[in-house]
Amino acid sequence: MFLPFMMGHHFGVPFHVELQKRIIKEALRRIKLAENSGDIYHFPMTWAQARTEGKEIERLRVG
Amino acid sequence: MSLTYLKEAVEAGDTEKLIRYVRLHFGDGNEEAGRKEIDKAWVEALKPLLDVPPTDRAFVLKTLEERDVATLAHLYFHLHFYFVKRSGEWIHDGEL
Amino acid sequence: MTENSDDITELRPGLWDTVNDRYPGSMITKADLIPLAKAAKPLSASRLTFVSTSGVQRRGTMPFDTVHPVGDYTFRRVPSDSKPGDLEIHQLKYPTVGAKRDLNVIFPIERLRDLVNEGFIGGLTDNFYTFIGYNMDAERLERTLAEDIAAAVEAEKPDVVLLAPA
Repeated sequence: MFLPFMMGHHFGVPFHVELQKRIIKEALRRIKLAENSGDIYHFPMTWAQARTEGKEIERLRVG
Repeated sequence: MSLTYLKEAVEAGDTEKLIRYVRLHFGDGNEEAGRKEIDKAWVEALKPLLDVPPTDRAFVLKTLEERDVATLAHLYFHLHFYFVKRSGEWIHDGEL
Repeated sequence: MTENSDDITELRPGLWDTVNDRYPGSMITKADLIPLAKAAKPLSASRLTFVSTSGVQRRGTMPFDTVHPVGDYTFRRVPSDSKPGDLEIHQLKYPTVGAKRDLNVIFPIERLRDLVNEGFIGGLTDNFYTFIGYNMDAERLERTLAEDIAAAVEAEKPDVVLLAPA
């Protein structure tokens, strides 16, 4: 599974528990869904989207 | 692979390839940054010696005499990074 | 067999040239893809282990060798019940800005335990496995580190292995 995220952030952004779990779940689903060795699944989220959601979570944490 | 590249450079006496590799290592892939990091390490190594404080020269000589060249080379890389870190200016993404 | 490759599909065209320029000869590909293995059990009944190049290790263990010019070919066992505060990162080559605040962004140890508690995964092996990605001798990596981790992982008898770079 390929994520277009910043290096060092392959499971998402800090404190975004749901995204972190979703990434793991999607990766593990490849066990059933991958058809060929070497198949690449592109995780359907941009780094900008992940950061935006992360910032909102951090805002709520602080608040 | 990279080790082959380096060994071929050693065989060919291509020191430019070898020093470039070291600079890239110290600069995390940026040769110019690596050059500055190496210079920075030497500057930081010079500073503590300017007032000629007592140093454990017996330890230094014993280490050079008794340790194998690979350990000393490894120590040389450690010392470079040690003085880079000691400078207080840390350009690397991670930690030693 | 591990070899340099010039003719394989790149996810980001041009990236390999850049990396090869920065770390000459380091971009490699595997010519012998391993056939897909079918899962023997559903995930909810499977024991999972995690293998990561993050350089995460228990505090107080020998730090990964981040200064060696050719890399570190050792691995560390990280107990899967570790708290993030029990762990630290030793590596130089990736941004740890997120991981310093929440280790789960690179080493999702708490999320994997969450998924066990939620029943998505059956369980975890006693240990996870880590090493650092700055290893410039691919042949040595394959012959030593990869084999050593494979043997250690196999001894824990997981059903599923999650692999993640950093």
